[in-house]
Amino acid sequence: MEEHGWDLLLLYGHTWRKDYFRCLINFNFSGPHAVAVLDRSGEVHAIVSDPWDAEGLPGATFAPDFSGYLSKFGSARLAIAGKEIMPQSFLPNRDSNGAASATYLVEELRRVKSPQELDRIRQAAELSDRGYQHFAQVADVGMTEYELVAEVEAFLKSNGAEDNFMLIASGGTEVVGMKPPTERKLQTGDSVTTELTPQIDGYWAQICRTLVVGEPSAKQLEAFAIFAEARQAAEDLLKPGVNIADVARVQNDVFRKFGYGEYTGPKYTRVRGHNLGLHPDENPYVLEDVNYIVKEGMVVIAHPNTYLPLSGYMVFGDTLLVTANGCTSLNKTERKLFRK
Amino acid sequence: MKRGWITWDKTELPPSAFESRLAKVRQHLFEKELPALVVYTDVWRSNQGRYLSNFMPYWNRALLVIPRDSAPVLLCGLSPRVYPWIRSVTILEDIRANMNLAKMRDENGWNKVGVLDFPLLPYDLSVPNAVDVPWIAIHPEPDEGELSMYRHAAKMAREILREELRAAVGLIDHEFVGRLERKYRTAGVEDLVVLVTNGDTPPVPPIGSTLTPSFSVSVAMEYRGHWVKIVGSGFQPAAGLPPGASNSKIELLSGPYSYESCRPTDLKPGSIFASVAQSTIGGKRIFQGDTYRQGPNGPELL
Repeated sequence: MEEHGWDLLLLYGHTWRKDYFRCLINFNFSGPHAVAVLDRSGEVHAIVSDPWDAEGLPGATFAPDFSGYLSKFGSARLAIAGKEIMPQSFLPNRDSNGAASATYLVEELRRVKSPQELDRIRQAAELSDRGYQHFAQVADVGMTEYELVAEVEAFLKSNGAEDNFMLIASGGTEVVGMKPPTERKLQTGDSVTTELTPQIDGYWAQICRTLVVGEPSAKQLEAFAIFAEARQAAEDLLKPGVNIADVARVQNDVFRKFGYGEYTGPKYTRVRGHNLGLHPDENPYVLEDVNYIVKEGMVVIAHPNTYLPLSGYMVFGDTLLVTANGCTSLNKTERKLFRK
Repeated sequence: MKRGWITWDKTELPPSAFESRLAKVRQHLFEKELPALVVYTDVWRSNQGRYLSNFMPYWNRALLVIPRDSAPVLLCGLSPRVYPWIRSVTILEDIRANMNLAKMRDENGWNKVGVLDFPLLPYDLSVPNAVDVPWIAIHPEPDEGELSMYRHAAKMAREILREELRAAVGLIDHEFVGRLERKYRTAGVEDLVVLVTNGDTPPVPPIGSTLTPSFSVSVAMEYRGHWVKIVGSGFQPAAGLPPGASNSKIELLSGPYSYESCRPTDLKPGSIFASVAQSTIGGKRIFQGDTYRQGPNGPELL
C-alpha cells in the first residue's frame, strides 16, 4: 500500500463473488454486499449490508444503505480489490479514476496458497472424490438430470460443503457442452459428464469425470483415450516456471495429433483449466494465449474438456497442487471412464 | 448457486406475460425518447432479467438489451454452445457472444440508452450517455403472472419445510440441510440458501451442530426465478408471527437482488418481501418468518 500511495485498501464482495472479501476476512456473509477495509497500520474493519452478518462478525459495521457509505472515507487514497464488480453508486463522489483497482494485485497475492488454505482445498478435494463416488452410485437409467443433481447436492451439503458449483450433461454426439440439469432422463449408452466443485470454508476444489450408462461404445473408448492422454500431458508438464499457455498447448497438441485440432477452440470448449481457490474459476485460465509463469503452491485444474464428434462432450480433470518439481493431484478418484 | 432445473413452463407463465411486460418497457422508452433499455444480470442479480425474458444465468453475467422497435437481444458471457438451451428456456432468439454494448450502439446509431437501475451497474461496464431507468418505472408491482409464481413458490417452500421440521431435532445441521437440498431440488427448485441456529445467534450457515428443540431454520428458495423465504423453528411450526415477537429483519425479494435486507419504509405497494420475527423463549432466540406482498392494507401472506 505504501509503495502505491494507498491509504486504504478495500476488498469488496457481493453474494456471487465473495472471494475478494473473504481473502482478508473469511466470513461467509449473506449479503448482498460486504467490504473489508485495511489501513496502513494493518487494522481491518468490515462493513456489511445485512444485520445478521453484522451480528455474526464481531466489530463489523452494519450499513443498511451501501450507496454513498464508502464516500465517508473522505479524501483518503483508496484502492479497491473487486472494484470492477462493485456498483458504481457505492463511490458516488469519486469518478472511476478516483479509486484505484487493486484487483490484479490481490489476485496475484492469492495465487500461491498458504498451508492453511491448502488444508481447506484438500478437504474440498476429498469431498469432491466422495461426491463423485455418490454421483456414480446413484446415476441410473430413467433418472432425470435434475434428480441426479439433487442427490449429489444433498450428499455434498450433508457432508459439510458450504456450496457447490456443478454442471452436467447427458446424451451422445448431440451434446456439445455442460449446463444446469434438465428434465432429460438418463438412457443406456449415454455419456454423463459432470464437474463437481464443492466449497469448504471458502475454498473450492473440482473434479471432472465422464460416466457411460451401460457398456461404452468403441467410439466412447477411443475418445476417452484421447482425453486421458491430454490430461496426462498437462500433468507431466505442470511445474514451477512453466508458462500456463504451454499447459494448454500440450493438451491441445494431443487433440491435433489425432486430427481433432479444431475442437480445441472456443467454438467447442472454453478453457483447458483454471486456477482454484476462493473462487471456483480463478485466473489464470489455462489457454494458449494466456501467458503466466506457474508458481509453486498454486492450485490448478487442468481439464481438456471439449466436444468430439466421436462421443459428444467429454470431461476429465483433477485438482492439482503445483509442487517444487511438478504437481500432485489432490483427488483420489480413479482416472477412468466410469460405467454404470 | 443455480444448480437446479432451470426451465420455462408456458402453462405456468405464458408468452403473453412477457409480451405485456416488454410493451410496458417500450412505452416507457417511447415516453423518455430512449432507443433501448439495457438490463444487467448475473448469478445473484437475475430478478430483472428473468422478469423481462425468463433468462437466469447459472454462471457469469449478461446484458439484456430491449430495443424500442425490435426484439430483445442477449449480450452473453456464456458459451455459444449453450445458446440453444437458453433459447429453449427464455423468450430470446437473438443471443450474441460478448457483452459489447458499444458495438451494438454503433450499429444502431444509439447516442443514448436507458440503463435499468444505472447506479447499480458494475464499475467495469461503462455506459456513456446512459439514462437511469428505475426498476419501479417498468415494474411498479408484480403482475398477476408473477404473483401466481410467488404464491406457488411460497406454498412449496412452506409445505416442504413443515414436513422436514418434524424430524429435524437431533440431526447434525449439515445433514438437515442436505435433506432440504434433496427435497427442494427434486421439486424443481433452482437455488437454495439455508441458514440455521440453535438460538444463540441469528441463523447462519451450518457449522456442524446438533439441532436442539430451540433451533430455527431460514430457507431462501428460488423457484423458476422467483425467490421466497420462509423461517421456521423446531419450537413451533412455521406459520405467522408468534405473539410478542419483535421484528428481526425484512428482506426485499422483488428488487434487483435475490434478496436484500431493507427498511420497512423501503417497501412499496406490491413489494414482495420476507418478514422475520424473533422471540426469546427459555433464553433462546426463536425465529419465524414468511413471504408477503405489501398490500393496500398491510402485509398479505403469499
